[in-house]
This record gives sequence, C-alpha cells and structure tokens, in this order.
Amino acid sequence: MALSMTLAARKLSGQNAGGQASVQAYNPYPPGILPSDLNPEIERVRRELRMLEQRALERWHALKPPLLRGQPLTFQNTGTEAIETLGELMNYDQNISPNKNEACSFCHMPYAAFSGPIPSVNLTMIAYPGTVHFRAGKRTAQRYTYSPFFPVLQYNQIQGLFFGGNFFDSRSTGYLLRNPDAEQAQHPPVDTAEMGFPDTACIAFRLSQTEYRPLFEQVWGKGSFDIKFPLDTERICDTPGGAAVFGGGATPIPLSPEDRTRANIVYDHWGQSIDAYEQSLQVSAFSSKFDAFLKGSYKLTADEMAGLKLFDGKGNCNSCHLDGRGTTLKPGLADTSAPAIVNPLFTCFGSANEGLPLNPRNAIYYQTTPDSYGFTANPFGFGYRDLGLGTFLRSGFGSAPSPNSTWTQYAPSTDGQMQVTTARDVAMTPPQCPTTEAPGPYFQKEFFHNGYIKSLKQLVHFYNTRDKYKYNVTSGHCPPGTTEKVDCWPMPEISNNIDMTTGNLGLTDKEEDEIVAFLQALTDGYSRPYPNRDTFTGTCMTGSLAKTQGNELLIPTPKLPPCAMAICGVQPVPNPAIP
Amino acid sequence: MNRLLPRLALVVTVGGLLHSTRAAAQASSTTTKTARIRITQGPKIERADPDFAIITWTSNNPGGSPEHYGIVHYGTDAKKLTQTAKSPIRLNPGHSYTVFRVRMDGLKPRTTYYYTVDSIEANGNNDGVKSTVRHFTTPE
Repeated sequence: MALSMTLAARKLSGQNAGGQASVQAYNPYPPGILPSDLNPEIERVRRELRMLEQRALERWHALKPPLLRGQPLTFQNTGTEAIETLGELMNYDQNISPNKNEACSFCHMPYAAFSGPIPSVNLTMIAYPGTVHFRAGKRTAQRYTYSPFFPVLQYNQIQGLFFGGNFFDSRSTGYLLRNPDAEQAQHPPVDTAEMGFPDTACIAFRLSQTEYRPLFEQVWGKGSFDIKFPLDTERICDTPGGAAVFGGGATPIPLSPEDRTRANIVYDHWGQSIDAYEQSLQVSAFSSKFDAFLKGSYKLTADEMAGLKLFDGKGNCNSCHLDGRGTTLKPGLADTSAPAIVNPLFTCFGSANEGLPLNPRNAIYYQTTPDSYGFTANPFGFGYRDLGLGTFLRSGFGSAPSPNSTWTQYAPSTDGQMQVTTARDVAMTPPQCPTTEAPGPYFQKEFFHNGYIKSLKQLVHFYNTRDKYKYNVTSGHCPPGTTEKVDCWPMPEISNNIDMTTGNLGLTDKEEDEIVAFLQALTDGYSRPYPNRDTFTGTCMTGSLAKTQGNELLIPTPKLPPCAMAICGVQPVPNPAIP
Repeated sequence: MNRLLPRLALVVTVGGLLHSTRAAAQASSTTTKTARIRITQGPKIERADPDFAIITWTSNNPGGSPEHYGIVHYGTDAKKLTQTAKSPIRLNPGHSYTVFRVRMDGLKPRTTYYYTVDSIEANGNNDGVKSTVRHFTTPE
C-alpha cells in the first residue's frame, strides 16, 4: 500500500498518459542541445506510428484462418505470416511504455531503414528521447535491417575474435534464447532511457490489454496470459524504471514463482515475435540494386561499379563488410565472378574501433542530475567514455551484465570496439527526400555509434583520411585554416585497439563519391517496393555540402575530466590506460 | 534456474521452426597460412608528430586468422627495443598483399626511436616476419 501511494505521487510529477510533454519535463541540457522542434517532431513520429499500427492491424485482419496440423503442430501456410504480423503489431505499439507514448519504432522507422526518424535529433543530441521526456540514451538508433542474421555471440579461440550478438556493444548475446535479435528486442522495453518499464512483467501485463491479444494467443497459446497480476500492477507499470521508489529492484511486481515464469515466457515470445518481423521481407528485404545485380537483372552504373571495385580493392571495405565477391579486380575489368556467399550481409559479424572522435552533443553527457523520479542516467558527465564491447565484457556501467566470465579477460583487447553493422540500407531515406547527402533534398541521418558523422561522404572521407588529417584536438577545436571533417579529424575518443585497416587509403575525391554511389546501391526497394517507406510526413532538408553537412552545429568539446573509475577502473583495466 | 526450464521446452518446440534460415556462415573465414611471409615495402614512417607516429609496411598476404596485429618493437637505444606498440588490421582474402599500419602513442618530442616490426595472428601466432632495426626522430 505504501508503495502504491508513493507511486501515485511520483506519477503526478511525471507525464500524463497521453504522452504529451510534461510541464516538468526533465531538461538538464544547456541551451541548444535539444533541438528546437523536438516536441512537434516527437508528435509527428507518434502520428506516423499510429498509421503504421493501423496498417499492421489491417494485415492481421486479412490473415487467412489458421489451420493447425502435423506433429509437432504447425500453422500450415499461415504460421510465418502470423508471427511476423504479431511482431509488426508489437513494434508499432505505443502502449509498451509506461507513459504509453513510445513504441520500439519511435527510434526505428521504416523510411530510415529502421533507424532514427527525426532529422534534428540526428543532427544534435544523437540519442532519442525515452518515455520520460527528455531522458535519452547514449548511442544512435541501430538499424533493424538484417540484425536477425547475426549469430549468438561467441569467442572464436582459433581466430582470437568475438563474433555475433546484437547492439553496438554486442550485449544482447543470445545466450539463453539462442537468438541475439530476439534478446535485443527485450532490452529497450526495460531500458531506463528508452521505453523504460520497471519490470519485464509489465510487457506481459500491457500485451494482455492489447487489441491484438487474440493473435498473440493464436500464435503462442491460449493460456499465455493466465497470470494473476496484483491490483496495483498498472500503477507500477506506469512508473518509469530507475525511479527511486523501486530501490533498484528489478521485479517490483510481486508475482508468484509460477506467474513470474509465465510472464518471462511471454517476454521471450515478445522478443521472438519481433525477431520474426525483423527477419521478414518487410524489414530485411534483399531487394536492392546490388541484389538485382547478383541475379543478373540490373547493370550497375559506371559510378556504382567503380565504387564496388573500390569497396573490394583500394578501400578495403569488404575486409569487414563482406560482400561475397570472388575476386579483386584489375583496372578495366568488369566483375563477373560468382558470389561466394548467397545474399551477402555486408558485415563480418565482428567488432572494431574505428577511432571516432567524442561527440560533445551526445545527450548522455548532460544527464548528470536526478530527474523527477530520482533517476540520474550519467553521474560522470564528460567523464563517461564509451568503451563498447570492452565495457560489456566487464559487465560495466551503461552496458549489461555479461553472462560469460571467461570472456572478461578479453576486455582490454576490445575496448572501443563497436559492432560492424551491415552496410546494407545505410543510405535508405524516405522517397521524397531521396538521399542522405546535401545539398539534397536530403533526409538527415547520423552514422556510427555516436552520430559524429552526418553524411556518407563524410563517412567514406573519415575512413580515407582519419590518420592523414589527425589533429591532437577534440571536436570543435580544429586549428584555424582547417575545416573539421574535411582536413581536420579530432583525436579518437578511445585510442586503444584502433583498427588500422583504414585511416589513410589514398582515395581521391571522385573515388570517395564512387563508394558512396555503391553504398546507395545497397538500399532495399529497387526490385520491389520497400514496405512502409512512404510514411514520413516531415520535411526534407536542402542546401550546404555533404562534406561539411551539419558542421554549422559543431560545438566545442569542454575540457575532458579523466575517464570515470566506474568505467576505466574496472578490472581488467584498459591497457594502455585511457585518459 | 527456474527461467531455464520453460526456455528449454521453447527451443524444442519452436526454435527450429523460426530460425532455420538464420545465416551464420558469413563470418570472416580463416584462410590458408602463407608459407613464406616477407615484407615487400617498408617499414617506413607514415607520419611522425611530437608525441605520435604511424609506421607502415606491406607484406604478401599472410593468411591465417582474419584479424592480424602489426607489431612495432621500439626504444631509444637500438639494442634495447623493450617497448611494444601494436594495432589490429583485417586481412582481405581477395588481396595478394597486406598493408600493416601501427600507431605509436605517448612518444617524446625531439627523440630518436629505433624499431623493428613483425606481425601476429589475433590468437598470438607469429607470422615470422622480421625487419632490420631502423630509426626516426620525432619533431618538436
């Protein structure tokens, strides 16, 4: 009873159930960090989510009647579409957040290849606001596309390397479900910076109230929601995770052991259903120009073919972004080789530290004071460093517990490493804003884990010249006479384990453009329309140049305090020490 | 432990149905180790700053694990190369050659450093490459 009363009081100072911004929104940010159009853009995405949810409901209602046959029992002919549609409905459901204002896809919309949908956020704070406005995470929204194809995280003893997992830091390992993508879908609903439920059982509770509950029960069984939830469950689930009232507990809903197990099973089915959607042709479509090229039904343009040759050759991109091609081409030759891999995924499932500079606009650095729930996301301010896989292997601050103690020893050799994301769909944009590149009309995206890079031209130029134009400065402090991202690259945030395959490739300006053209040929939707790409109702941007895109919003990095001991002081400590 | 039991049942009942097409065979493969690995260009100084340098060299493709480390053994006394810098690179199986580049942080300005280079697989196996002792001096 005492808990319930405390929760009610907290709720008044939070947000209303409609998800509108509260008069007491958490805003620890200096002027200019939050984009000025943030509230209308949040509402714009929420309107689009309702449109997408409506389409998913229509798809559900159009499903053919199920026919359960065989041993083991299978929904003959309809099972795949049923679970994919269930995952789709879940993905666009804003009720799966305490304030009923945030669905998974709020940060992952189809027209951006299921990455961040708000251009001004991509330009500024880089991480997306959570159910509590304006808590935010620390990294860019990673694309869903092809994420289901990553294997369970493993350490390959022969190769001395980690492979697989989901998330930039691979913290979704798949150790229990044997499916990292399904486990990935289990993190954001209880991530304090995202949908932010205080208890995983809240997902079962809210799913039991959804319009599409019958589809869930059809796919996963009639008794799925036979759980005796206490009367105050709604109030607990209305309160965001991290609230001081919970005292750090992970299971504030008092359930019997049997009901807790049932709720856990529902949560597993939540992850597996969303994984089914993400692996479906609705999301991972294999319908790009490059796929058509592999089938012999599309001839790459001169620039695209030149880009492919550079991707495999001088650029050496396919040493990590595996494209399945069989040879390295000599000048003047066309690529007629048979692909070594069917449907290449343009990733090696590995991780690398590319040496990105610290992005001082990242929202995480400013969340140093408690919000109205008593939650502080980052007490270390600019003492936070993103060590990626290294921090995860230490079960460290801002990541998740590692399930495997034998991996911990490898943390120093993985500090700074982030997952090698597929290059597929890196260039996807809404149809009315047909490119990521200024002068456009373009859709502003953000690249790499911390969004420092704002265009594909910059991305390729970074790989090409990171070490050639290296300066011993932080972002915002390039010397007079230089231009940041053009002929000045600030120092890496993490200098340990920087991958040196790239950094001084010797590509010409034209060759950089050709690689960009090839990356654009990896966008799904060429051989058949990409579903729901037409749902963007915002505004395209125009003007500027791709090489300096977003530079007008660079801010000087403050003098950095030492890396916090909670991050860089955890055994086995980084070697060499990180300043 | 009580969470594990229903999950085991789950794997049996639906795991194969849902995930039989999951492609796990696209990780970089270990390639055939080259019998004789030799440096074909360098090592040379790619850049030298007061506190930082990059040393680069090219060898024939060594094969083996997809990740390799370039190693620089260095010191201010040509007979005591007790310090080590190493940087990872990814082999490209389609390339006949491999460029190694190694970052050296924490150097002192106006100091002469002596060095040799070699390379190893990510699992620590040495490629058997050695270079003669060379030197460079950091600027002010």
